[in-house]
Amino acid sequence: MTAVELAVHAAVASVDDPEYPGISIVDLGLLETLDVTVDGTEATVAIGLIPTFSGCPALHIIASEVESAVAGLDAVDAVSVSWLSAPVWSVDRVSHDARSILAQEFTVGIAIGPKPAPCPRCGSPTVEQSLFGPTRCRSVHRCTLCHETVEVMRS
Amino acid sequence: MAGKLGPPTTLYSATVKRTWASIDEFETFLNDGGIVEVDDDMPDEYRNAVFRFIELHANSEVMGGLTERDWIPRTPGLRHKMSVIAKTQDEFGHGHLLYMVAADMGIKTRTEMIEDLFGGRSRFHNVFHYRVKSWAQQVAVAFLVDAAALASQQAVFKNCSYGPYRRILKRIISEEGFHMRLGEDRMMRIAHGTDVQRELFQNAINDWWWPALQLFGPDSKPNDLLLRWHIKSERNEDLRHRWVQKFVPMLQSYGFTIPDPGLHFDEDAGQWMCGEIDWEPLEKTLANVGPDSGRRIAEAAHHWETSQWVRDALQTPATALA
Repeated sequence: MTAVELAVHAAVASVDDPEYPGISIVDLGLLETLDVTVDGTEATVAIGLIPTFSGCPALHIIASEVESAVAGLDAVDAVSVSWLSAPVWSVDRVSHDARSILAQEFTVGIAIGPKPAPCPRCGSPTVEQSLFGPTRCRSVHRCTLCHETVEVMRS
Repeated sequence: MAGKLGPPTTLYSATVKRTWASIDEFETFLNDGGIVEVDDDMPDEYRNAVFRFIELHANSEVMGGLTERDWIPRTPGLRHKMSVIAKTQDEFGHGHLLYMVAADMGIKTRTEMIEDLFGGRSRFHNVFHYRVKSWAQQVAVAFLVDAAALASQQAVFKNCSYGPYRRILKRIISEEGFHMRLGEDRMMRIAHGTDVQRELFQNAINDWWWPALQLFGPDSKPNDLLLRWHIKSERNEDLRHRWVQKFVPMLQSYGFTIPDPGLHFDEDAGQWMCGEIDWEPLEKTLANVGPDSGRRIAEAAHHWETSQWVRDALQTPATALA
């Protein structure tokens, strides 16, 4: 990556998910494309993001925060942010760092593959209680060992 | 990112069940910052107090979700409509999580809590005993009431001695913080709108200022058990006072007025002081006889009754349908 691309990437990564303070949208796998076009001394940036779910109410706030973070860079003259309809987001895109913070700070697990999602607190298998939690990207589970009521991020 | 992680993941060991010989010993444990877990042998008084507190919170999430739901078809514009739909799901999701945590305490089942709520035998927050009469009022609710609810939840979370509730609150607070931003977004649009919109919003403030302020409740009693047992960490009057410091200047800066004739700025203290508070409306809502309590409870009960077939279907094994 060029120096400008690195700076833009860092600016996008500085934006946290509005519902998970401390977790970057890049770590949640929302950043899909980052294009920098240099024409003479003018650098134009186009950012393509993908939503966890298309009806997510945070899209507007996330896009405007990304836009102002990138527009704030000295090296950038113009920026556009768009939401892409493909590829479709899945939990596989969530980084390992973000998974640890979700588990430790928010008691939120991740469902990957056919195995029952592990409890973010004690690591034991959980049982799904409801496919629909407080948001479209989370279901409600209960741990079979520590009995904690937990949420699990799902695709 | 790695810097934010701290020590490597330590998994909780769920096998220890603690007991306390006396309430004094239990209180020492709490005063030392101890966290009570669901399988612990906690004193009955503590169990009851925590349970009642979580049940009230869960009930309020559900009644709040029903209010939000009423506005889905009436919300102007796709962007706001998306946020109202998502917020509705959020509130019901919070209610569900909280009912699970409350039911684990072994006092009432989830169904009993829901049936008590819809039968008018339970309490829920005062603000959901009033009718939201216009979109401007719904904006005022999202702006004033959500902030008040968030402030009280933060004060509980800060020092809450009951572990399962504290961990759920952490997530609820992050989400309510996001709701507040949506509320601010809606408020800004209306504050920068036409004269008619601004007038509607002023009327909404006139109707909702006092209910929102009373959400914090009357002054905490000297020996409030919720404070003593570290279920809450701040006194009602302190939370209320801080909310007033934030919202009076904010609303005034947009040119709106506050419907409190006794409100004044105390130059010596450098703070806004409320006029006298009439607590009668709050007492009525606590007895489920507020201005809109009857309709709200009856509607909720109706939804519960007419959705019985969904619950039945969910409990029917797939094999029985084949």
